[in-house]
Amino acid sequence: MIRLEKVSKTYRTDKVETLALKDIDLHVAKAEFVCIMGPSGCGKSTLLNLIGLLDHPGSGAITVGGAPVASYKDKYVARLRNNTFGFIFQSFHLINDLRVIDNVELPLLYRDMSAKKRQRLAREALEKVGLGARMDHYPNQLSGGQQQRVAIARAIVGQPQVLLADEPTGNLDSKMGQEVMDILLKLNSEGTTVVMVTHNEQEARLAGRVVRVFDGQLVA
Amino acid sequence: MFRNYMLTAWKVFLRRKMFTAINLLCIVLTLVVLMVVAALLQNTFYPTGVEGKSARFVQMVMVESSHTDKGGRRRGTLGYKMIAQYLKPLKGVEAVSVFSFPQAVSVYQADRVTDRQLRLTDAEYWKILDFALVSGRTINADDVEQGRMVAVINQSTAQQLFPGQTWLGQKFNANGQIFSVVGVVRDEMHINAYSDIWVPLTSAPSSDYKDKLFGMFSTMILAYRAEDLPAIKRQIVAVAKTVQYPDPNQFNTTRFWGDSKLQLFARTLLADQTEEGGAGKLLAIIVTLMVLFMMLPALNLVNLNVGRIMERSSEIGVRKAFGATSAQLVAQLVLENVLLCLAGGAIGLVCAAGALWWLESSGLIPYLKVHLDFAVFGYGLLITLVFGVLSGLIPALKMARLDPVHALKGTA
Repeated sequence: MIRLEKVSKTYRTDKVETLALKDIDLHVAKAEFVCIMGPSGCGKSTLLNLIGLLDHPGSGAITVGGAPVASYKDKYVARLRNNTFGFIFQSFHLINDLRVIDNVELPLLYRDMSAKKRQRLAREALEKVGLGARMDHYPNQLSGGQQQRVAIARAIVGQPQVLLADEPTGNLDSKMGQEVMDILLKLNSEGTTVVMVTHNEQEARLAGRVVRVFDGQLVA
Repeated sequence: MFRNYMLTAWKVFLRRKMFTAINLLCIVLTLVVLMVVAALLQNTFYPTGVEGKSARFVQMVMVESSHTDKGGRRRGTLGYKMIAQYLKPLKGVEAVSVFSFPQAVSVYQADRVTDRQLRLTDAEYWKILDFALVSGRTINADDVEQGRMVAVINQSTAQQLFPGQTWLGQKFNANGQIFSVVGVVRDEMHINAYSDIWVPLTSAPSSDYKDKLFGMFSTMILAYRAEDLPAIKRQIVAVAKTVQYPDPNQFNTTRFWGDSKLQLFARTLLADQTEEGGAGKLLAIIVTLMVLFMMLPALNLVNLNVGRIMERSSEIGVRKAFGATSAQLVAQLVLENVLLCLAGGAIGLVCAAGALWWLESSGLIPYLKVHLDFAVFGYGLLITLVFGVLSGLIPALKMARLDPVHALKGTA
């Protein structure tokens, strides 16, 4: 599903050059659940961002769905992100000015789809995460766990092949964290590839495979 | 998608009420001032209303006399003789009118004294200007020839002097002279038309004015066609060279020009004694001042928009992560600004109409009649939209070009 070959990433400022990732080779198979673990600042999130084409690598090649990412031109990567990936962030990144249902339908806005169909799919996604009754609420009227479930609904509404979750339970208590993990595991069991960054060993044990990063490199 | 953009825009406006209010205020203020100034300029300089033929006439107020050897110089207003002897005989013109500037007079009635403005006019004056007659007639050639003590008054004066009475045939005493009302015209606030009372030139208590080259008169010279005006202006400049003074040792050179309304205003204001009269310079000054005036709110708008868009970095990051292209984001952010500008435009239109109504009814400028000019409103709104689009476009382009990861982190 996703293949990274000799991928490196360096961040440069005026005076400092920081090597975030070095020569990463990684293959994520279709319907796999991969956890990326490692200490803070080791490059986990950078790796996830590169997989999701939210950032571009300094060197190396990334293949998505068997096709190499040919360019990082705006339109090309925007379409690839929209069709292939769903993102779940630690801090939810919901748009507080929009209702829950409007937040969820956001990825569909960038597809050629009628408003009616968008609303139907958004409703279905919210029902799937157990928030069918909260559609007209605003994000700040919901608990942290509910907000993350809205974020999951937004991530899955476009039926992406890959879900990328960056510490999705990091801001939640254990009960809510478990609820989120249950949803991710269910989605994975239905055939969605999941790549998740976490610090939590317990959660990692639930994944099919754990990949560890240390100082910008994959370790066994 | 449009609905989502509109919803977001509406929420953003409500969330940042102060920003929205300041933004709207900038737009409204710009449009109101622009429209009020434009309405006043149009009323003053455009061929409208009573001075509807002004595209076909030139006018003259000042004459400059000097001596080539002795260095004396006199700038003053035209005398009757200067107009009658040198300008009335101009060739190829439809009419030449002599009329005085408005003079303050006291109208004495049984129980009160009223201060009014009075003009002395010839019959041509009424042919060149298109006064709207409320009742009666205007001053004709016979009135002037025979020195009849007749008067045309405006509606406000008629109502004030003769409330509840028939206006025509009424007699009144102005500065000791008794005039009989033969006509009532609508109130007018135009440079050449403005007055309360008009009487024949020849009703002046003394005929001394007829022998004077300098005096208190003005003239309008009406051409058959607007295209004839340049030739008439040249004739006027040429005629100036033929003026003879009673004492050639005092003056032997004369300069005067036939001016459009704008040229006359510019010549008076800028003391410009070139043939062109400084009209171009005056227009440049007016346009520069208006642009400078508009720049202030525009820059404010740009500054506010930059801040507003930058603080929405996370939203922009999310939209990019879920498939928005840079072009779609730019369109969304610019659309928000356009909506704000259109709202400001609508409020501005109402406020400008209110300001003009107040200006008319306050009596600040007597007899002023101004109208909303929708073309000016259109231009004003267009300029505001351009500023709105530009002020949204610059930060939007900056944000839209960011990698989503930086936008999400707010490290723009």
